[in-house]
Amino acid sequence: MAITEDRPLALESGEVTKTNTRPLGALTRPQSDVGWASWFTTVDHKKIGIMYGVGSLFFFLVGGLEALLIRIQLSQPGNNFLSESVYNQVFTMHGVTMVFLVIMPMAAAFANYLLPLQVGARDVAFPRLNAFSFWCWLAGALFLNTSWFLGGAPDGGWFAYAPNTSATFAPGNGMDFYAIGLQIAGIASLVSAINLIVTVLNMRAPGMTLLKMPIFTWMMLVVQFLLLFAVPVITIALFLLTFDRSFDANFFNVAEGGSPLLWQHLFWIFGHPEVYILILPAFGIISEIIPTFSRKPIFGYPFMVGSGIAIGFMGWGVWAHHMFVSGLGPISVAAFSMSTMFIAVPTGVKILNWLATMWGGRLRFTTAMLFSVGVIAMFTIGGLSGVTHAVAPSDTQQTDTYYIVAHFHYVIFGGALLGMFGGFYFWWPKAFGHKLNEKWGKINFWLMLIGFNMTFGPMHILGLQGMARRHHSYAEADGFTQWNRIVSLGSFVIGIGVLIFLFNIVISARAAKKNPVDVGPDPWDARSLEWSTASPTPVHNFDSDPTVEFQDDWWHRKWGTDDDGKIVRIAHPEDIADDGSNTNVHLPSPSYWPLVLSFSLPLIGYAIIFSLWLLVPAGILFVLSFVGWALEPADDPEAAHGHHDDHDADHHDADGVAATDQGASVG
Amino acid sequence: MTESELPVQSVRSMPSRSRQLRALVALATVALLSACADTPLDTMAPESPIANEINNLFIGVGIVAIIVFVLVQGAVIYMARRFRVDAPDDEDDVYPDEEFPAQIHGNTRLEIGWTIVPTVIMAIVGFFTLGTLFNLDDVSASDDQQIEKVVVVGQQWWWEFQYHLDDDGVADIVTAGELVLPVGEEILLEVTSRDVIHSFWVPALNGKRDAVPGRSSPWTIEAGSVGRFPGECTEFCGLSHAYMEKWAVGLELADWKTWAANQMADATAPAEGTDAAAGWEVFSAQCASCHVINGLTSLNDTDAVDSVELYDGANRLIDKQTQVSGAAPNLTHIASRSSFAGGIFELYENVDEVDYLDLASAGDLNRGQLEAWIINAPEQKANAWDSPTGQRGMTPFEALSDDDVDNLVAFLMTLD
Repeated sequence: MAITEDRPLALESGEVTKTNTRPLGALTRPQSDVGWASWFTTVDHKKIGIMYGVGSLFFFLVGGLEALLIRIQLSQPGNNFLSESVYNQVFTMHGVTMVFLVIMPMAAAFANYLLPLQVGARDVAFPRLNAFSFWCWLAGALFLNTSWFLGGAPDGGWFAYAPNTSATFAPGNGMDFYAIGLQIAGIASLVSAINLIVTVLNMRAPGMTLLKMPIFTWMMLVVQFLLLFAVPVITIALFLLTFDRSFDANFFNVAEGGSPLLWQHLFWIFGHPEVYILILPAFGIISEIIPTFSRKPIFGYPFMVGSGIAIGFMGWGVWAHHMFVSGLGPISVAAFSMSTMFIAVPTGVKILNWLATMWGGRLRFTTAMLFSVGVIAMFTIGGLSGVTHAVAPSDTQQTDTYYIVAHFHYVIFGGALLGMFGGFYFWWPKAFGHKLNEKWGKINFWLMLIGFNMTFGPMHILGLQGMARRHHSYAEADGFTQWNRIVSLGSFVIGIGVLIFLFNIVISARAAKKNPVDVGPDPWDARSLEWSTASPTPVHNFDSDPTVEFQDDWWHRKWGTDDDGKIVRIAHPEDIADDGSNTNVHLPSPSYWPLVLSFSLPLIGYAIIFSLWLLVPAGILFVLSFVGWALEPADDPEAAHGHHDDHDADHHDADGVAATDQGASVG
Repeated sequence: MTESELPVQSVRSMPSRSRQLRALVALATVALLSACADTPLDTMAPESPIANEINNLFIGVGIVAIIVFVLVQGAVIYMARRFRVDAPDDEDDVYPDEEFPAQIHGNTRLEIGWTIVPTVIMAIVGFFTLGTLFNLDDVSASDDQQIEKVVVVGQQWWWEFQYHLDDDGVADIVTAGELVLPVGEEILLEVTSRDVIHSFWVPALNGKRDAVPGRSSPWTIEAGSVGRFPGECTEFCGLSHAYMEKWAVGLELADWKTWAANQMADATAPAEGTDAAAGWEVFSAQCASCHVINGLTSLNDTDAVDSVELYDGANRLIDKQTQVSGAAPNLTHIASRSSFAGGIFELYENVDEVDYLDLASAGDLNRGQLEAWIINAPEQKANAWDSPTGQRGMTPFEALSDDDVDNLVAFLMTLD
């Protein structure tokens, strides 16, 4: 049923070619790769990366709004701004949103956009699967949030401890949306992990051995392996929960011999590697930014790589530190206490290596650099407070207090989020052809840093003063009022900082439109391959396949040493970078099916929650999209559009030049 | 507290790094000051040998952490000042060609060094951690223990304490919301739950231990001094998680013996013709299907369950109008307690100077709150009394007349 099709090339110029024959039938591939509609069918890793970024920023606003609601509620003792029920929903969704709908997809945005570029490839290994990952994530995210309008959001905490999430104790639909929504988002993570692992391992440019890969690529590779092994665990746990709730299974039902602690083990065997899934991308990002703005290579590259891998491995052996008070017994507690302490060692090595990279450098404090140094300072605080609760006996006092809330916000906000904001400022010109305004960027940074410390710094004190987490309110007599006011005030300072970031996006884009400035391929004098091509990145990434000789290959193309060992320029980036002019590149075609397949999954979710009859249309759509995907016209340069290579708008040369098909794939 | 407001203003108007440093110092000072503030749940104000040992360990590790903190932040700030190159006026400018620092790719000795140093620090911290951990786990009961053990049962949203004074396996005292302890005796607890997971915590006396349904987790507690120490539930347990408190009360041994003897006594029916007798009638009609009063009602009359084994958390109870959360509090000696409704309301007012054993005789009853609770408990504290999957929490009794409520209160006050 493969229908031979003429279709346009994906060209930087964006023009749509007219095809000789207009094929009939529903299963033709979409034509256009420009205009708003093309975003729905794109398989371009860069567009998908940008969509992940937009999606994660949208949910960042949603999760941030939830955070502000929590902080309004807690700004006064005995407050009733939110009812107990709504408060439980809001803090549950704040956690779920920030972890699964903000930090993870934001990291996916960077991974999608940058990994193929950093390894010198034209796209990911499986472009359609990549599109599927994004739409699947979005479907899960939207599904989860429709719970607000369909009887109430999940209210059992992001950790969803059984049996408080059972049908008995959580009779609403909220926890069903949690279980199925995360299941759908989990498929996205799993598919994406496989895709990116194959991309990094198989599609590196000639000469790029594993130990010449940029640190960001390395850290993302570690993250993908963590996802590959961690997501199946939460998948199983969520299935058990769904079966307990919807089909009267008894996995966590004590009365029938089930075990609530089983859920905790499953959740945290996923949940602790998840912490490193959240933080390692930011470690990778700042490992690119700090050398660039220190004008030095990363200090101790093999140790940076090795410590990242070590964190990836050790991250599997520490989950029960989330369960020190659950009654595991002293031997288990002792073992997990020790393993948790020693995971501080590779983390400490990373921090010292970043400091050593900066040492003696010529530090230029651009916004990206400010955010990166902010990560070193703030993550250190989170790491140190982490060590204090690896100390199991004192953790019995601190766990489930605001001391823990402070700790993980220093790690996830102070580490992951600040790092990715640095990444936005750093790679913005590569993606959009203009920088974000540096002046507003610095205001953005300082407001977020100050607001962040105002919000989460005092939480250490509140926690040590005994303020428990997930409490709807506190009494005046508890003595928590003053610090809570400061915390709530700080959260609004963060909010202003975030709004300034959005404002900066708008004014920077406007300024660039009004008064275009050519930022060139390499505005920061950076080091890795993505800077060796034009900005914004041409649709085909590189005009010719890059070959790699060194770690930081791009830097070595610009700079050499003279006879005295002094560093001298050997080329200007504008002269040696790809200008995006090569149109003789075969690229994978857009496709409808990833989108269609993705949106059949929430339908299945609604069926499980509301009526199994819905499975009929959902199942038909699901199967249909599989068939459509499988039977979609082959992406074969010879059969489909070889003669379009090297085309111009009105001239079609029948003897097309053989395509450079390095990025072509079976995705 | 004006000193707490200080850092807000100064931090917000902070343009330079040095001023930021000063703000940090100010913040730290305020932190120390506020540690002296009145925070009854403070984790760093130990009132028992166990809590003290935990606190000492935390302070030790905290000092190590603060040293590392100062070194790293100091290094960041130092480098940011010393190695900073001012941005060119033109923000798009790149560095001039000539200005390169030494291109150092690494130093294996340094790397090995700073792998070993944190390892050693962690090993030292770990050594003391393990020592404390196993030391705390080692409970040796002395021969003159007053209490064999206390079974601590969490349920939505209150705590029950079943005292086993001997080893006959039968609870000798059953009370709710308040764990009364003889000072200086390390008591073995068995922590469990009738429904979802809760966590037992009295910060002044010890850390937390989760109450997991179907499991009995050992824990210990000791009141190091006479006093009343608050504790909260710290494992998220649903609607009124924030309103599930408990008090540990330390009494001198002689006082504790007086208390225990009183608690073991059955209640007696009020004299005929009194308000309390009328109240007892209301109670037996309206309340006795959930609440037990030893000597007056029995477990058999109630839907209440008296042990963990009867826990049934599944959907099995949908058709039965019974409480999945197990028993309602045993009210045999409610008037002897200082609090009610899961420890969140004071039963008596103006009792700052009153001994715990004299509350009923010397305190002013917090009548308004008690009546409001009886008439509409869900309004006072969120619960799930009307849940489609089984009652959890006290029903509202808005049909009671004012006289009924007055009589009921009169009756409850006889239960001292």
